[in-house]
Amino acid sequence: MTPTDDLISALTANLRPVRRLRPPLLRATGFLLLAALILAMIAAAHGWRPGLLVRLAEIRFALSLAGALFTGVLAAVAAFLVSLPGRSRHWLWLPFPALALWLFSIGYQCLSFWTPMAPGRASPGETVSCVATLVLTSLPLSLALGLMLRHAASFNPAPVIFAASLSVAGITATALTLFHPIDASIEILMFNLGTGLLIMLSGAAIHLFLSSRAEMPE
Amino acid sequence: MTTKPALKLVRGAAAPPPQARELDWSILMARAQDGDANAYRRLLESITPYLRAHAARCHRNPSDVEDAVQDILLTLHAVRRTYDPARPFSPWLTAIARRRLIDRLRRQGRRRAFETEFEPAHETFAGQPRNLEDMTKIHEIATALDRLPPGQREAVLLTKIEGLSLKEASAASGTSVAALKVATHRAVQRLRRFFSGGSEP
Repeated sequence: MTPTDDLISALTANLRPVRRLRPPLLRATGFLLLAALILAMIAAAHGWRPGLLVRLAEIRFALSLAGALFTGVLAAVAAFLVSLPGRSRHWLWLPFPALALWLFSIGYQCLSFWTPMAPGRASPGETVSCVATLVLTSLPLSLALGLMLRHAASFNPAPVIFAASLSVAGITATALTLFHPIDASIEILMFNLGTGLLIMLSGAAIHLFLSSRAEMPE
Repeated sequence: MTTKPALKLVRGAAAPPPQARELDWSILMARAQDGDANAYRRLLESITPYLRAHAARCHRNPSDVEDAVQDILLTLHAVRRTYDPARPFSPWLTAIARRRLIDRLRRQGRRRAFETEFEPAHETFAGQPRNLEDMTKIHEIATALDRLPPGQREAVLLTKIEGLSLKEASAASGTSVAALKVATHRAVQRLRRFFSGGSEP
C-alpha cells in the first residue's frame, strides 16, 4: 500500500457532506446587497453629503462616482468567479475599464481640487465622521468577502485577494463620495490595495516558513 | 516557442479524457459532496493515475511525483465544495492540479538555489568504520599532541577536540581566555609545522 493509497483511505474515512457553493453571480449579488444595505444604513444615520444633487449634475463628479461604483461591483464579480477552480483567469480584466475611468477622474480631481480642498472646508468633526464611514464600510465588507472567499486560500489566493481589495476600495470610495465632501479616492485605493498586498506577502512569508519547516528532516 | 509542460495540462497536448469517464467523475464527485465515501474513494482512485501522468511531466523523481499527487488530492479535498456538478469535472480538476504543480516547481526552484542534493556517497564517508584513512592518522595526531607543552596541549584538547567555547574552556582549565587563545594558536602552529614539514613540534 503506497502513501497515496493511505492518503485516499484517510480522506474517504473522514468524509463529511459539504454544501455546494451557489453560483458565483448569485453570491456576488448577495455580497453587493450587503454592501447596499450598509450604504443605506449610513445614509439613514448620517445623511447625504451637502449639495449631492448639484454635484451629480457635474459630469466629472458623476464619472468618478460611477467609476468607483462599477469598479466595486465588477471587481466583486471577478473575485467570486476567479476564486473557483476551472474558471478563466481572464475574468480579472472585468473591473479594469471601470478602474481606468475612476483613476482618470481621480487624476483630474487631484489637479483641480487638491489645493482649495485641503484647508478650511474639512472641519475636524467632519474628518472623524469621514473616517468612521471608511471603517464602517470597508471593515464589514472585507470581513464578508474574506468569509465568502475563504475556500480560495487553499487553491489560488493572490488574484482573489487582489480583486476583493479592489472591490472593497471601490465601494468604500463610493460611500465616501456620497456622504462626505472630502475626496480621498487615491488614499482609499492605496490603502485597500496595500492591505491586500500585505495579506498576500504575509501569506507568502508564512507559506515559505511553513514549507521550509515541513521539509526539514528533524 | 516551447510551451511549459505545466501549461499543457488544460488543453492541447493532453488527450481529452473520454466523455464517459468525464461524466463518471462528475457524478462521483457530486455524490461525494453529498457524503458518499464509496463514491469518493472510487473517484480518487480513478483520478490518481491521471494526476500521476500530469505530475510526471513536471517531476522526474518518482517520490516527487507521488508528493505532487498527494498535494493535489489534499487541495481537491479542501476545496471540494467549489465543484459545480452542472459543469465538466476535468477543467476543475486540472485547474487545481496545475496550480499545485506550478507552486511545487517554484518552491523546488527556490530550494535548489540554496541547497545541495544529499547523495549516497556522502553517507558512505560519514560512517565511522569506512574512514580507515583517517583512522590511521589518529595515532600520529596523538603522538604529535603528546609532544606539545602541557599548557598548549590542554588548550588544544579543550577548544579543538572537545569543542568547548573559549569561556567554557577557560572555566574548565582555570586559565584566562586570552592565555587560552594564545596557547591554542601556538599549538596549532606547531602541529601544522609537524604535519607539513615533519620537524619536531
